[in-house]
Amino acid sequence: MNNMRRMSLVSLLLALLFAITACSGGGNGSGSGSGKTLSIMWWGTDERHEATKKALDLYTQQHPDVKFKPEYMAWDAYWQKLPTLAASKTITDVLQMDAAYLQEYVSRGQLEDLSDIDLTGIVDPGVIENLKIGGKLYGIPLSQNAQGIAFNKEDLAKYGIPLPHKDWTYDEYFQWAKDARAKLPEGKYPIGDTTSWDGFNYYQTSMGKPPIMADGGKTFTLDKDLFMKFYQTYEQFRKDKIVPPADQAASFLENDPQADPMASGVVMTRGATTGSVSALEQLMPGKVGVVNMPTGPSGGGWAQSTIFLSVSANSKNKEEAKNFVKWFVTDKEAGKTLGLTRGIPINPEIYKELEPNLEAKDKLGKEIYDQSVDKALPFYSPAPGFTEWVDAYKKEMDAVTFGQQSLEQAFDKIDKLGKELAAKAGN
Amino acid sequence: MVAETKTTAEAEKTRRAVRKRIKTGDTHLAGYIFISPWLIGFLLLTLWPIAQSFYLSFTDYSLLEDPVWVGTENYVNIFTNDSTFTKSLGVTFLFVLFSVPLKLFFSLLVAMALNQKLKGMNLYRTAIYFPSLIGGSIAVAALWRNMFGLDGYINQVLAWFGIQGVGWISNPDTSLGTLILLNTWQFGSTMVIFLAGLKQIPQELYESAAVDGAAKIRRFISITLPMLSPVMFFNLILGVIGSFQTFTSAFIITKGGPVNSTYVYALYLYEKAFKHYQMGYASALAWILLAIVALLTIVNFAASRYWVFYESEGGGTK
Repeated sequence: MNNMRRMSLVSLLLALLFAITACSGGGNGSGSGSGKTLSIMWWGTDERHEATKKALDLYTQQHPDVKFKPEYMAWDAYWQKLPTLAASKTITDVLQMDAAYLQEYVSRGQLEDLSDIDLTGIVDPGVIENLKIGGKLYGIPLSQNAQGIAFNKEDLAKYGIPLPHKDWTYDEYFQWAKDARAKLPEGKYPIGDTTSWDGFNYYQTSMGKPPIMADGGKTFTLDKDLFMKFYQTYEQFRKDKIVPPADQAASFLENDPQADPMASGVVMTRGATTGSVSALEQLMPGKVGVVNMPTGPSGGGWAQSTIFLSVSANSKNKEEAKNFVKWFVTDKEAGKTLGLTRGIPINPEIYKELEPNLEAKDKLGKEIYDQSVDKALPFYSPAPGFTEWVDAYKKEMDAVTFGQQSLEQAFDKIDKLGKELAAKAGN
Repeated sequence: MVAETKTTAEAEKTRRAVRKRIKTGDTHLAGYIFISPWLIGFLLLTLWPIAQSFYLSFTDYSLLEDPVWVGTENYVNIFTNDSTFTKSLGVTFLFVLFSVPLKLFFSLLVAMALNQKLKGMNLYRTAIYFPSLIGGSIAVAALWRNMFGLDGYINQVLAWFGIQGVGWISNPDTSLGTLILLNTWQFGSTMVIFLAGLKQIPQELYESAAVDGAAKIRRFISITLPMLSPVMFFNLILGVIGSFQTFTSAFIITKGGPVNSTYVYALYLYEKAFKHYQMGYASALAWILLAIVALLTIVNFAASRYWVFYESEGGGTK
């Protein structure tokens, strides 16, 4: 009897301890009472954070039973955090997605199929069709976006350097940089160095060659002649101080008031997108001009939707989440609140209302888009399973800029790894 | 004779009591219950994951699909076809080789300074130990990044003296050194252990040595060092283990770069697991790290026979 009581006491204690030590995690937007809490996460600048939070408040006003648990951060932090959330299957109910990562997350089964959301009259059907992966839509496009180049028009004028013109070719781009070098004082550089895969992919595709990764990673094309030509140009540029030295380039941090390559006054140009150029304009008001990416015989740059809202495949509030993402691109009030913080709104009616009151920083974004759209190539993203290769590319090319290995060596390693991964994807 | 009977009777009594306790099962039960919060935590949150990671190291596992058994393929690949493995191991060895002795030396120095009898010494101790409380944190790593940046404070100070600084963390030649410096600066807990060790050394030894005419340096070499050697050994073991696992500073400050110059082993492991989703491969990397650290610890223990002095063993000429 005594024994029995003791045993039950022990089991009770154990049970309690289990309850205490067991994970108290989860908390993934579980509903309380009649109301639901949607967790949502996005990356961006402060301006985008503030606008989005206001839009969330607006939704809660219109739908009092839905509340939000927002998380927002900068681009780098976002893509560091998301994989860990994916690994533990705790991605937020709603999340912002980028075209560069969409395929990867779809291939890992992390995103919910959103094909049944009716976007007639809100998003161009052609755009929707283009975005489908395997016939299904995994992200609601939020905006028209484009890649271009921003330049410091004030400094260029000051040193008597002609401003870049629309549809400039790669040859003109390189020549412009050489000419500008001669006119710029020491410590200032006309253009930045490039070591990441996309910089070369723009070049390769504009010259009429296929993108480096195609067919979901099964086809891998790294054109050696173009590769050598492109990077030998930059090798010479490093010697001639047309691009900043490698250790200085490594310490740049975009959109940081002191460390931004352009806002710090060190480099005259840098890449900018429709959705991000306003942050640069705010760092150096009135000084930013824009032009489209350098072009080749096939065109150059891209102009399309690259920012999406997706719903987690593991969400417990899928219906609420879908209703919300549709509202996000439909509601006029929301459109006004969000403005151009994610590029040009995808919904033409919302953009029409915003157009008369655009500020200078927003006009720049529109200008990048308008300049890019007629020569634009598709947006090429890394194929699923190629994150490793993307990292390796940058590291090998960094090693070249620091003079630790030759261009030839870097090419061999990058090409070998790419072919290995393509063979793997083919199986 | 009488006394003997009494002893037997007493022994019999104890035996019976023990037998009874074994029957009712409460010999150690209370003890287990008391340690159960720790025990359960250890079994569920440490031992189980360790066992799982061992199993996973023989699989191909992307987290989202079920693990596929691949035998020793991961290990074979790591040792025969992975230049990043070799590179990151090299970087880590370099880090350990410099940061461990530097930290030991520096914290001993500080501990000896703080062992002086001065007015308000407790205040100094607190003040010097305080930064170590936050030393390993992300905030300090971020601070370090700003200090050692190309336009950071360090270079601004150097500029006063007309020295053109380099981008300490953006230059592959200096980046690892900067991280070693940061690691050395986090001397707090090592220093506290040294300080406790120093306080244990009997004052008489110094006094009699002084009477015999031993100078300060002689006293340090002949008394302080041998008497402190067990503490030194302890700090060495912990330092080696900790340095092999170094992660935060490389992750936050340099992200392994530039050009892999600070791509330490733990960072490689992390990226394999959470960036490239190769959990099986990452687990294999973790087990290799464990084996390396265990091996070095064994070597350290074996070597300790020749330089660590335990008073309890009588000292003598050992």
